[in-house]
Amino acid sequence: MADAEFAIEIDHVSRIYTRDEFEVRALDDITIKLPNGRFVAIMGPSGSGKTTLLNLIAGIDHATSGKVKVGGEEITSMRERDLARWRARHIGLVFQFYNLIPVLTAFENVELPLLLTDLSKAERKQHVETALKVVGLADRMSHYPRQLSGGQEQRVAIARAIVTDPTIVVADEPTGDLDAKSAEEILSLLVELNRMFNKTIVMVTHDQRAVRYVEQVFHLDKGILAGIEPGGRAPASGAQAASN
Amino acid sequence: MKYLSLIVKNLIRNKKRTALTVFSIAVSLFIFSALISMPTAMTQVLADTAASNRVITHNKSGLTYSVPLAYRQKIAVMPHVIATSSMSWFGGILHDVNDQFPNMAMDHEQAELLFPDWGLTPEQWDQFKKIRTACVVGADTMKRFNLHVGQQIILKGTIYPFNVTLNIVGEMTGRTQRTFIYFHRDYLEEAAGRPGFVSNIWVAVDKSDNVPQLISAIDEQFANSSAETQTESESAWIGGFLRQYRLLLSLFEILGVIVVVTVGLVAANTAAMSIRERRGEIAVMRSMGFPSGTILSTLLLESLVIGILGGLIGCGGAYVALRVFSGPQLGNLVIRMPSAVVFETMIAAAVIGLLSAWIPARAASKMNIVDALRLVA
Repeated sequence: MADAEFAIEIDHVSRIYTRDEFEVRALDDITIKLPNGRFVAIMGPSGSGKTTLLNLIAGIDHATSGKVKVGGEEITSMRERDLARWRARHIGLVFQFYNLIPVLTAFENVELPLLLTDLSKAERKQHVETALKVVGLADRMSHYPRQLSGGQEQRVAIARAIVTDPTIVVADEPTGDLDAKSAEEILSLLVELNRMFNKTIVMVTHDQRAVRYVEQVFHLDKGILAGIEPGGRAPASGAQAASN
Repeated sequence: MKYLSLIVKNLIRNKKRTALTVFSIAVSLFIFSALISMPTAMTQVLADTAASNRVITHNKSGLTYSVPLAYRQKIAVMPHVIATSSMSWFGGILHDVNDQFPNMAMDHEQAELLFPDWGLTPEQWDQFKKIRTACVVGADTMKRFNLHVGQQIILKGTIYPFNVTLNIVGEMTGRTQRTFIYFHRDYLEEAAGRPGFVSNIWVAVDKSDNVPQLISAIDEQFANSSAETQTESESAWIGGFLRQYRLLLSLFEILGVIVVVTVGLVAANTAAMSIRERRGEIAVMRSMGFPSGTILSTLLLESLVIGILGGLIGCGGAYVALRVFSGPQLGNLVIRMPSAVVFETMIAAAVIGLLSAWIPARAASKMNIVDALRLVA
C-alpha cells in the first residue's frame, strides 16, 4: 500500500442513481490521480457530486462504471465483506455532524474502530490515548458527546478517524456544523495531521475558508470535474487530474 | 467480549424502555411458565404416584357405580394377587361444606401390603389395624385443619345420612395421599346397614409383568354379570381422572403460547423502534468497517439479554409463586414447576429475544450505508 505512487486513482468513474423511474447521473466520467500525502478539497454547489465522489473513495458506495484505486488497491470489484475489512484498515471517516455514538465516552468512541483489529485492550488504550492527545482532548476522555462542544466532538471524530492509522482520511463537510473559530481549529488540526503524519486527506466542503488550508481544490459541477485549482498551501508534488 | 461494553451501553441507553420490555417479557413468561406447569405437573403427579404393581377394579359403567363387595374375595384368590382392599367413597366434611378433601373407607387388613408408599410407620399401621375408629390423615390435610395424631374428629356425612367419629392414629407423609383421610370400611359398612357394595377394589400384584394378565382375568371373571368390571393399572386410573381436565390443560397450554406470541410481537415492535433510532450509528459503524454480521450479532445479543432477563424474572417469579400459593391456597393442588418447564421457558425467552430483533436487526445491518448516512444528515 505504501509503495503505491498514488493514494487515489479514479479512472473514468461514473455513478448513476435510480430514483423511482428517474436516472440521476451524480458523477460523469471523472478521472483523478492524487499522490500520497496530499490534503485536498472537493468543492462545488449542492448536487454536484462531491459527497458521491467521497463515498466512492471511502468504499461505502459503488461506481456504476470506471475504476477506483486507493493505495494501489482496486476497490470497485471488491465484495462487501472484503470492502468492509478494507475500510477498517485504510479509511478514516469524518462527518459533518460528527456521528459519535452518544452512549459511549470520547475514549470509547475513539476505541470503536480498534475493536476490529487484533490489538489487546492495553494496546487499544495506548492508541486511543495517543489519538486523543493528538487532537488535544487527552483531558476529555471520559466525557460523553453531550458533554462536549461541537468543535470538541469533531476533534473526537477526527481522533476516531486516525486512531487506526488509515491510509486516507476522508472528511465530509467537517466544518459544516461549526462556528468560525471551531472551523478554523478543525482545519488547522487537519493540516497538522497532514504535515506531521503525511496523511492523505480528502475533504468535501462548501467553506471558502478551507481553500487556505488545502494544497489543491477539485471543483465539481453537475457531476463533472470542472477544474483544479491550487490551494493556499503549496503541495509537495503535483497532482494530476483529467476530465472527459 | 470486546463488544460487551457496547452491548451493555446500548441496553441502558433508554433505561425505561429496556425495563418495560424486560418487564413485559417477564410477565408473559410468568404466565406462560405457570400455565405450562399445570399439565406438566399433573403428568408428573401421575408418574410419581402410580405404582407399577397395583390395579383397580371398578364398575364398567362408570366410577359413580359400585361393585359388589363379594368381588374382593373372588379377586383375592386369583393367581398373582398378593393383597386386596375395597374402598368406598365417604365424601364427608370436617367443618364447612367448602372445606372439601377426599375421604374414603377402606379394608384395613392388607392395607400395609398394598400401600407401603403412604409414609406410615409400622406402629401407625398397627394402630390403624387394631382400632375400629382409627383413621390415617394426609400431611397436607393435617396441616390445613391443624390436626394432630391422637385427636378425635367427626366427619360429617354429605352422601351418607350420618357422621363418623374417628381417631387419628397416623399421618401420611409420603409423596401421595397427602390430602386424603382413610378409615375402616367395616365401620362405615355397619353404620350404613351393610349394603354390600363398594366403590372400587385395589389389588396388589406380585410382579408388574403380570398386571396385563390379571386385568384380563378379573374383567373376564365378572363379564356378563349384573356389575361388569373394568380393571386398570394405577397409572391408567389416575390418568383417567386427569383426562377429565385435558381440555382445561390444553387451554392452559394454548393460552400460554398466545401470551408469549403476543408479547413477542410487542417486543419485536420495541426492538424495531430501538434499532430504527440507531440506523445512523449503525451506518457509521459499517462505514468504519464493521461487518454486517458483527452488527447483526451485537443487536441480536442485546435483544437476547433482554429476553433472558425477562425469562429469569418471569420464570423465577412463577416458580416462587407456585411454591407459595399452591397447596392449601389452591384447593390443596400442589403444583411445582418441573425443570422441563424452566428449560422451556428459558428457551422461549431466548427465542422471543432473538426473533423480536431478527428482522429489524438484519435490515439495519444490511442497509445501504450511503442511504442511512443521508438519513442522519
